[in-house]
Amino acid sequence: MKISVFGCELSGLVTAGALAQTGNEVMALPIGIVKVEDLQNGVLPREEPGLASLIKSQYEEERLFFEADWSLGVEYGDVLFLSMPSWNIRKAEDIVDLISSTAEKDLIVVNQSTFPIGTADRFLQTIQQGFSCRGVEAKVAVVSMPEFMSEGSAVKDFTRPDRVVLGGDCQEAIATIRDIMRPFNYTVDQIKVMSTRAAEYTKYAVNALLATRMSLVNELANNAEHFDIDMEQVRQGLGSDGRVGFSYLYPGCGFGGPSFAEDVKTLVGTLESKGYDADLLKTVLSNNESQKEVLFRKAWRYFHNRLQDKTIAIWGLSFKPNTATVDNAPSLRTVEALVAQGAKVVAYDPKGKKAFQRYWGEDRQGVSYVNDMYQALENADALMVLTEWKHFWNPDYERMKSLMAQPVIFDGRNIYDLNVMKSKGFEYFGVGRGQFI
Amino acid sequence: MTLDVSPAWQALQVHCDAGLGTMAMSQLFKNDRDRTDKFSHEFDDLYVDYSKNRITEETMSLLFDLADQQDLSGWIYKLLSGEKVNDTEDRPALHTALRANHKGVSGFAAQVQDDVDAQFDNMSRIVNKVRSGHWRGFSGKAITDVVNIGVGGSDLGPLMITQSLQTIKSPVNLHFISSIDGTQTSNLLNKLKQETTLFILASKSFTTIDTLSNAETAIDWLEEAIKDKQEIYSQHFIGVSTKPDMMTEWGIPPENQLIFWDWVGGRYSLWSAIGLPIALQIGMDKFRELLEGARIMDEHFGSEPFERNLPVILGLIDIWNINFLNIQKKAILPYDARLKYLPSYLEQLVMESNGKSVNRDGKEVSYKTCPVLWGEVGPNAQHAFYQLLHQGTQKVMCDFFALKIRDDFDASSHTGRNESLKSQHELALANCFAQSRVLMLGDDAIPESLKANFDSPFKHYPGNQPSNTILMKDISPKTLGMLIALYEHKTFVEGVIWEINSFDQWGVELGKLIAKETKAALQDASLAEQFDASTRKLIEKVTS
Repeated sequence: MKISVFGCELSGLVTAGALAQTGNEVMALPIGIVKVEDLQNGVLPREEPGLASLIKSQYEEERLFFEADWSLGVEYGDVLFLSMPSWNIRKAEDIVDLISSTAEKDLIVVNQSTFPIGTADRFLQTIQQGFSCRGVEAKVAVVSMPEFMSEGSAVKDFTRPDRVVLGGDCQEAIATIRDIMRPFNYTVDQIKVMSTRAAEYTKYAVNALLATRMSLVNELANNAEHFDIDMEQVRQGLGSDGRVGFSYLYPGCGFGGPSFAEDVKTLVGTLESKGYDADLLKTVLSNNESQKEVLFRKAWRYFHNRLQDKTIAIWGLSFKPNTATVDNAPSLRTVEALVAQGAKVVAYDPKGKKAFQRYWGEDRQGVSYVNDMYQALENADALMVLTEWKHFWNPDYERMKSLMAQPVIFDGRNIYDLNVMKSKGFEYFGVGRGQFI
Repeated sequence: MTLDVSPAWQALQVHCDAGLGTMAMSQLFKNDRDRTDKFSHEFDDLYVDYSKNRITEETMSLLFDLADQQDLSGWIYKLLSGEKVNDTEDRPALHTALRANHKGVSGFAAQVQDDVDAQFDNMSRIVNKVRSGHWRGFSGKAITDVVNIGVGGSDLGPLMITQSLQTIKSPVNLHFISSIDGTQTSNLLNKLKQETTLFILASKSFTTIDTLSNAETAIDWLEEAIKDKQEIYSQHFIGVSTKPDMMTEWGIPPENQLIFWDWVGGRYSLWSAIGLPIALQIGMDKFRELLEGARIMDEHFGSEPFERNLPVILGLIDIWNINFLNIQKKAILPYDARLKYLPSYLEQLVMESNGKSVNRDGKEVSYKTCPVLWGEVGPNAQHAFYQLLHQGTQKVMCDFFALKIRDDFDASSHTGRNESLKSQHELALANCFAQSRVLMLGDDAIPESLKANFDSPFKHYPGNQPSNTILMKDISPKTLGMLIALYEHKTFVEGVIWEINSFDQWGVELGKLIAKETKAALQDASLAEQFDASTRKLIEKVTS
C-alpha cells in the first residue's frame, strides 16, 4: 500500500519506519523545522532506542523516502497519516485544506495526533466540502487512531501495542487500516473500534486517569511524611491489591514531558472554555506543578530558608530517563526556584543538557553544567536526584561523600534504600519516606 | 487683616450679594450659550465640566484675584520645591517629589530624588520576587495571599487604587485589614494558610496601635504553624514605615523593610512604599504609570496659569460655594462601581486636611472651612440619599465621575454579553448626566409635554444644586494618578485660601491618648472614677 505520513517528529518517524518495514511504500513529509536532507542523512530530531536503525534500514531498502512538498504527499498516498504535536494543529489544518482543494482519488486520512475532540469530524467535513465544490466524486474517510507511544519505548509501543484504538464510521476504511496494522496485531486481536470522538476522548481519558493517579500517590506520599510512614512500604501494600496494581504508583517529584501533561492541560482548557466541570483535573495539574518543587521545599526547610550561596548538585534534567527532552520537566521549576534564592546549581544529565540550556537561556547565570556525575558533587551542599537514569542507582557512595561539602541527598525518584543511605553516612530525604523536615 | 474682611473677599461678597447668590443656573445657561465652553477644560485624559456652578466670568475673575491676594502662586512654589509648608510639624509635604522622576524639581524636592529612586528599586525587588512566585513562605511554597495591615493613609490609598484597578489581574490575592477591633483580622485569617500568606505592616510612625494590635494577632496566628520565630519575620512580614529602627526592634529584618520619610503625609503616601499592595497587584511598571499620571497633574498645577489650572479652578469654586453661597456639604458620586472606595479616600484626604478652624497664626477663623464630604457609587446612591439632594433642605455640591471608555470588556466584540455591558455603560452615563442636569435645572428639566404630570407640591424639584462632572478617559493607572493628584492639589488650594495648614492632623491625637487611659480603666474599674458619669456607666455595662 502507498502511504504518506505527514510529520517527522517521534510518532511520525516511528509510524513511517514501522509501516515501511512491513512492506508498505511510505513517503514521509516533515511539517516543522525538521529538514529532508537531515532525515536522508540519518540525522533524526530525537534520540529514541531502535529508531535510527529502523529509519536507516527502510531508507536504504527504498521503501521509505522523504519529501518536503506536501502536495506530493497528498498525491502519493492512498492512506495519509497526520502525526504531529498537539500544538501544531494549524499545520494539520493546512494539510487538510490542501487535500480538500487538490486531491482527486479515494483516500483515507488517519489522524494520530492528539487534537481537540471533534477534530476528525471537522476534517472530514472540510474535505467533503472541497470535493463537492470541485465536483470530485472520490470517497474519503477520516479515521482517528490515537498514538500511545512513550519516549524511550516508542518503537515497541507501535509494533507491539497493548491496544490499537480505531475511531471511524466508515467500515471500509476501518477494514483497510485494520489490514495495515495486521502485522502488529498478530498474536491477540488488540484492535478496538469505536466512534471517532470516542477514540479522541480515549486518548485524553487515559492521560487524565494516569495523571490523577500519580498526583494522588504524591499527595498520599507527602502526607505520609507527617506520620513518619515510609510510602515505599505502603506502595507494596497498595500495588498488591489486584484492584489497584503496581503501575504508575511511584511517588516522586512530579510528572512532565511534551505531551502527557500538555494533553491533560488541553482537555481542561477544552472543558473550561465550554463551561463544563474540570475541578478534579485542575487540582491534579496544580498539585503536580507544586510537586515539581517538592525537593526545593525540602532543601528550603533543611537549610532554614536560606539557600543563598549554597551549591546544589543536580542529577538528571530530562523529564524521564533515556530521553533528551525537558519539556515540563521538574528540573525546570526546581532550578528556577533554587537560582531565584541565590543558590548555585551544578547540573549533570547524560542527554538533557542541551535542551535544558535552550529553556534556561544560554547566557543566563546561575547554572553550570558538567559531563560527569561525580564532578557535579564537588563542594556541593546537597545533591538532588530529579531523573532516575540507570547509572544513578548504584553510585560510588564513598566517592560521593568525599566530594560533597555536606553528605545531603534529596531524592525525587526514591531510587535509594533508606537503611543503606543511613549506614553510608548520608542525610537522605526521598519523597514520602517518613522523614519530614 | 483677616481673610473675610480682605479686599478680594469683600469684592466677592459684593458680587455675590448683587444677585448671583440667588440666581438660577437655568437662567445662567439661557443667558450665555457658550457657557460650557467657557467653564470646562480638557487636560490629557480628563475632561472637567464646572459650568453647572453659579458662576460667571466675573466670579472667576474675582476668585483669581482672591488667589493672587492669598499668594497662591507663592504657596504652590513652596509646596512643590519642598519648603516646610507643614509648619506645625516643621516639615515639607513632598508627595509630589515621589512621582517627579527627577523632572522639573528644585530645592529639597530635587535633593530627595536619589533616596526616592533607591526605595523604589528596593520595592521593585520585593514586588518582582512576590509576583514571580519566588517569595517563599517558611515551608517553601510560594506566597499566594498578601495582607496589608494599616489604617488611614496606610490603608485607604492602596485599597482604593487596587479596587479601582481590579480588572488588572494580580498574581497574588490582596487583602486589607485596618480596624482596631480585630474582626476583619479573625475572619480573614480563618480563610488563609500560614505557609502562603505574607503580611505587610504599614505604619508611618510604627506606633499606630490599630495596626500593631492587628499585627500581634497575625503573629499569634503564624506561630500556630511556624516554630522558628525568625522565619516568621523573614518570610512572612514586610514592614513599610518612616522608622527603620522601630521596624528592626519589632523584628522585621532590614531586607524586608521599605522606608519612606516624614515629609510624606500619611494621606498622601500611596505614592511611596505604602503603595506596595498596588504594585503587587499591577506590577512595578504600571505602578510607575500611576506615578506618571500624578506627575503630569503636578506639572500642570505648577505651570498652568490659574485660568486653565484645574486644581486651582476646582478649589476656588469650592471656596465660592462654601464661603459665599453657604453650601457646607459635598457629595462624591462615581458612576463606576470600581471606584467604590473613592468617596472614603476623599473623605480622609479632604476632611483630615482642611477640617480645621485655626489658621496658620493659631487664630480662630471667622469663616467656614472644610465641608462635610461623603459619597457612594452614584447609581446606588440614587436609591439612597439622592432624595435629599433633590428635595431636602440641605444645599449640597456634587462631584460626578464618569468614564468615556469601559476597558473591562471588549466593546468591539458583539457577543450578547458585551452588547449588554455596552448598554449598561450607556445606562450609567445617561444616569450620571441626567442627575446632574436635574440637580441643576430642577423643574425646568421637565419636558413641556409632561408638565401636567408633575403638577403637585410633592413633585416639585427646586434644583440649583451646583456640581462638577469629571469625565475620565478610562480607569487606568495613569488616569487615576491624574485624578487623585487633582484632588490633592485642589485641597491644598483651599487650605491656602483659608490660611490653614492642610498637612497636620492634631484633631486626631487626643482621642488616641484618652483611649489608652480608657483601656486601662476597662481592666481596672477604679481608674474610671474620675471619668464623667456617661463614660463610667458604659464601662460598667461592658465589664460587669
